[in-house]
Formats: sequence, structure tokens, C-alpha cells
Amino acid sequence: MIFEILAVGLIISAVLALFLDEVIYSVAALAGTFFFTALIYVLNGAIFAAIFQFAVGVGTLAILFLSGEMLGDKPTKKTSPKRTGALIGAGAVLSLPAIFLSVSGATGAAASNISFGDALWNVRGLDVILQALVILTVALGIAIVLYEKKKGGK
Amino acid sequence: MDFVILSLVMLAVGIYGLLTNRQLLKVFISVELIATAATLNFVILASAAGVGLGEAFLILAFSTDTAISGVILALLVIVAKKYGTSDISKIVQLIQDKDESEVEA
Repeated sequence: MIFEILAVGLIISAVLALFLDEVIYSVAALAGTFFFTALIYVLNGAIFAAIFQFAVGVGTLAILFLSGEMLGDKPTKKTSPKRTGALIGAGAVLSLPAIFLSVSGATGAAASNISFGDALWNVRGLDVILQALVILTVALGIAIVLYEKKKGGK
Repeated sequence: MDFVILSLVMLAVGIYGLLTNRQLLKVFISVELIATAATLNFVILASAAGVGLGEAFLILAFSTDTAISGVILALLVIVAKKYGTSDISKIVQLIQDKDESEVEA
């Protein structure tokens, strides 16, 4: 039952995040989406995933709150309670397939008891190092683009 | 209750938002929802292929998602500062007007 409640909450908050007019309310709804996702991870036994989801989510939300205030155009009219109710209803309807439908044979095919540390460093070690390099390159690229933009703006 | 269907619904909502929203920040939120749908699938992978391996894949997916978010936000800030708006239709209109004035000149 708890999974069904979380699924409904997840889809409703995702719909609200996309279709509310005010950017700040959208970001708050996105926070709800991250929260429900992390709870689903915890209930599935993926504690590391939930911690990472919280960490990534908090960082993303902090930046979104700032950029939402800085860059977001102010909406001409506020979202009416009727529209908000309609969005919540649409989200609840959209979550029904996840509750009542199922795909058979999706789980339990090749279960192994490899630990998280072994999986990360022994099985996927090369990927982890290469991804760290890619992320470092991306971070440097963003810094260079922003610096060039700042220099060009002067 | 099936998480594959749940992640498919999340993916559909994210793609619909990506196609219909005109605000740059909403487009970014749509991309985040699509990434969340993808990472939700890794939890299913974790239950199918063993928790350790699934979570290792999940962390790689998170790092990719964070890199994508960084690039999108940097581009978003530059575009919004350059054109003074975060509405895609207005930005496209401004670019077309600028091109037309350059052709006339």
C-alpha cells in the first residue's frame, strides 16, 4: 500500500512541477518529486541510491531556486485553485497504470550477491574513473564558457 | 505495483513537458524528470541483477545526470542574460529579427 501512495505522490508532484505557472512553486513540487523518489529507493533497499538522490536533489533545487528567482519571467496571472485541483486529478489518473498494470518477468532473472563496493570498483571501476574525467572536463568547460561570457560582456 | 510502468509514466510526463513548455526553467525541470525516470529503472535493475551492481550503475547515472544539469544550467543562464527573457518563443523571435536585420544591412 505504501508503494502505491508513493507512486501517486510522485506522479502528482511531477505533473505539478511541470504545469504550475509560478517557477518557485514548480521547484517546490520538484522537491516533492525528489523526496518521493528517494523514499521509493529506501523502501526498495537501495540506501546509497536514496542518499545520492537527496544529495543531487538538494544541490539541483538550491540552484533552481536561485536561477528561478533570477531568470524566471513573472507570470501574468496566478494559478487558480481550480487548475491546481485539475492538475492533481490528472496526476492521480496518470499514476493508475503504475498501480494496476504490470510487466511480467522484469525481476529476479540473474540475481547476484555482489556487494556495492565490489560492484563499483571491481566491476565498474574503469567506468567510474572515466566518468570522473568526463565530469571534470564538463566542469572545466562550463567554467571556461561562463568566464568567456563574462569577459565578452565587459 | 510495477516500477517499470511508473518510470514509463514519469518518462511520458517529462517528454510531454519538454515538448509543450516554453519556459527554459520548465524545460530543465522536464529533463530532470526524464533523468529521474531513468534512474528509477536502475532500482529495478538493482532488484534484478543484485543490489550492489544495480546501485553502481545508478551512481554512474546520477553523475551523468549532474553533468547534464550543469551544462543545461550554464547555457540557460547565458541565453537568458543575452536575450533578457527565458521564454523560448520570444528568444526565437529575437534571433529571427536579428538575422533579418543583418540580411537587410
